[in-house]
Amino acid sequence: MAKSDDGIHILQGLLVFGNVVIGMCGIALTAECIFFVSDPHGLYYLLKDTENDDIYAAAWIGIFVGFALLALSILGIIGVIKSNRTLLLVYIILMLITYAFEMASCITAATQRDFLTPNLFLKQMLERYNESETDNNDKWMTDGVTKTWNNLMLQNHCCGVRGPSDWQKYTSTFRINHSDADYPWPHNCCVMDARGKPVNLDGCKLGVSGYYNSNGCYDAISGPMNTHAWGVAWFGFAILCWTFCVLLGTMFYWSRVEY
Amino acid sequence: PAPPALLPYVPCVPPGALLGKVTATTFALERPRCIFDRHADASDAVWLVVAFANASDTFRNPPSRADVPLYEGLSTTLSYMTLETAVATYACSTPSSAVLRVGGDTTCGCQGGQDPCNGPLTSPGPYRVKFLVMGCHGPVAETSWSDPILLQK
Repeated sequence: MAKSDDGIHILQGLLVFGNVVIGMCGIALTAECIFFVSDPHGLYYLLKDTENDDIYAAAWIGIFVGFALLALSILGIIGVIKSNRTLLLVYIILMLITYAFEMASCITAATQRDFLTPNLFLKQMLERYNESETDNNDKWMTDGVTKTWNNLMLQNHCCGVRGPSDWQKYTSTFRINHSDADYPWPHNCCVMDARGKPVNLDGCKLGVSGYYNSNGCYDAISGPMNTHAWGVAWFGFAILCWTFCVLLGTMFYWSRVEY
Repeated sequence: PAPPALLPYVPCVPPGALLGKVTATTFALERPRCIFDRHADASDAVWLVVAFANASDTFRNPPSRADVPLYEGLSTTLSYMTLETAVATYACSTPSSAVLRVGGDTTCGCQGGQDPCNGPLTSPGPYRVKFLVMGCHGPVAETSWSDPILLQK
């Protein structure tokens, strides 16, 4: 009949549109997760060392889910246009599996964020940071945590987690190996000139403002981490909401298609 | 010999915001300026006396340069003198440079010679300091003792 035919056509149109959106979101999700996995801020090592790197696992899952969404959306469009029950059934089953994976990834990213506190990084920094004095020969032996922190402090012009006083208030591996008189805080906390040497080492040791970095690095760590976690989690949840609606529509359509 | 003149200056840790003014083994002092000019000759030397706060009352000024207690003997004599500098460094005409840092020299103390050593302090203190002007015949002038300075643990 004309009216239910129209209804079916409208439903088909909506489903195709829904699948197109899913396909594009899949590409976007893949791109976003590849960006996060590439670790542009060099913070992965810090998390891996504390065994809290699950947000990277969530991003990896996101990459594959994005591809799967793209492929499944194409399958869905073909199935809807051809009104083929088998194709639609395959589409629904695979989409449900992908849905489950994406749900896991989003929940992981959202909950892992709670583990990233200042104290976690402070403890790791105090235990593992050990600036080596030997210049280039032993560089391959320098701890990854040390290298990461040196890069952090040099590029973000910061020192310690909450500030240089972290090195004064707490005992650390660094303090065991470097005298307090020469190194109240690591020399990477000093303002550097173009050659990578402190502009004024005595001023830096005394804490004269302008010769040392007085703010902590926690913002430089937590900022990108939060963006990463929220990006994976909430974009994923948004995709899941949309996909849920499209799935419901597809199941309804599947039940209406004649053999 | 006449007792040294007592100058009305109290050494102190610089009041400004310097994060490193007191660390676990060093501390900074405001640089005195225009304090010693009236009482000292150009040939005199200004020393910094560092003593544990409970030993500052029993400290006796050394009668000559040879009797100056050194950094290496801090644990036994509970005081030492360091930062021997010419009076001209603290004159009124010199531009006021920032601070003096006590304990900043990590290379001395190994030779075991007679040179005054400004090595890092091994105990958190508290310490009291005063400036002592030594001439050829002994102490010429001294400042008051500072308030106790406690280092970071």
